[in-house]
Amino acid sequence: MNNRSNLTQWMLLILKKDLLLSYRRAATYMTPLIFFLIVVTLFPLALGPDKSLLSTLSPAIIWVTALLASLLAVESIFQEDYRDGTLDYFFISGEPIFILIFIKVLGHWMVTGVPLLIAALLSSLILFMSKDIIISLFISLFLGSFSLSLLGALGGALSLGRSAILSAIIVLPLSVPILLLGSATVFSAINYSDYSVYLFYMGAILSLAIPGLSLATVEAIKLNYE
Amino acid sequence: MGSSPSIFRFISTIFPWLFFFSILFLMGSLFWGLFLAPTDYKQGDAYRIIFIHVPSAILGQSGYIFMAVFGFICLVWRVKVAGMIVRSIAPVGASFTLLALVSGSIWGKPTWGTWWVWDARLTSTLILFFLYIAIISLFSVIESKQKADRAGSILALVGVAIIPIIKKSVDWWQTLHQSSTFSLSSSPSMTADMYLPLLSCVLAFYLIFLVIVLSRMKLEIVQRERSTNWVKDFYS
Repeated sequence: MNNRSNLTQWMLLILKKDLLLSYRRAATYMTPLIFFLIVVTLFPLALGPDKSLLSTLSPAIIWVTALLASLLAVESIFQEDYRDGTLDYFFISGEPIFILIFIKVLGHWMVTGVPLLIAALLSSLILFMSKDIIISLFISLFLGSFSLSLLGALGGALSLGRSAILSAIIVLPLSVPILLLGSATVFSAINYSDYSVYLFYMGAILSLAIPGLSLATVEAIKLNYE
Repeated sequence: MGSSPSIFRFISTIFPWLFFFSILFLMGSLFWGLFLAPTDYKQGDAYRIIFIHVPSAILGQSGYIFMAVFGFICLVWRVKVAGMIVRSIAPVGASFTLLALVSGSIWGKPTWGTWWVWDARLTSTLILFFLYIAIISLFSVIESKQKADRAGSILALVGVAIIPIIKKSVDWWQTLHQSSTFSLSSSPSMTADMYLPLLSCVLAFYLIFLVIVLSRMKLEIVQRERSTNWVKDFYS
């Protein structure tokens, strides 16, 4: 068997395992979703039910909550694989590990990021966001949440076996550009101005983050094998 | 070259000289800036905080870049001393960034009429400070020193890739902060008798930065190698 198909096999195997595990254990995809909805609900309770205030603030509320939810969700991504030795197999597989790690993050994003998108749509309704801007929210969250998952994976790798709050401290300052761009997208959609430039930037960040953060994450995981 | 004892001896030899020279240089530059330089016609004497504010802001940023450079060396060539340098720089750079933030808000009160604005430069400096804090907390949480060095180096490297993006992304905000006081490429926009003391202050801050980092490195080496014979010999 040649090398190429071996790598593809590994990738499919990892993806399949992760998707199957989360399918069997609903908590993995339900917890971030419920967290998201509860936190979004807290905002109207704290701000009061004023319709225009809420709809003005809704992009910011949804983006900040999505940021927190996706970081919290991804924080423990490597914990189980580290404990049961799956990660050891990544390292002795002889395949490029950063690709395997990327697939792992991709699988994780598929089970946590996508539910977040649905939750964001739901909460845009309860925050009285106007319908025309939902598409901009959706696209920006789609691009942004994947970058956030990659960042969160780095945080999780650096704080492997340590407190979740450490991972948050590490990752939150780094996630600022994604938050700024994401909310800028939605705010400029509200003002009927062209928001594509922000989406291009977010896409650029994502395409830098995929190789860059995957490599950094591998380096961070390696620290636990010395 | 490269081994801890020889670096320790080197630092120990130059340290007293460097220390006194830097202190004198700093005091001279500050005296030049705070007392001898002319008063600004618009801001009066309030502008003199520039001699603290600009150097500390510059040091906060270049400290981070130094940290990333040595972090890269630590990760790629596994040079232990580079990791120690990263660890020694982190709190110093954080302090200078904090000094820049505090002096900036003290300056902002009389000139802008407010302690804080959510302006692009202020915000990105604040985030730089948070990045320093993240690295410092990573260092303090991981017990194994060498592991912590490398973890911090990874974070410093990722951060240095993100800093330009942060700057760019906060730049869209309407900005209140004046543009850079000086750059290497263009001629200064201030008169020479304000510009030269400022330059001198920047150099002095670099020296002080070096002094603090070197003394922290000395401490770091001794702490790590406290059980070795050469450390015992040195202090006996």
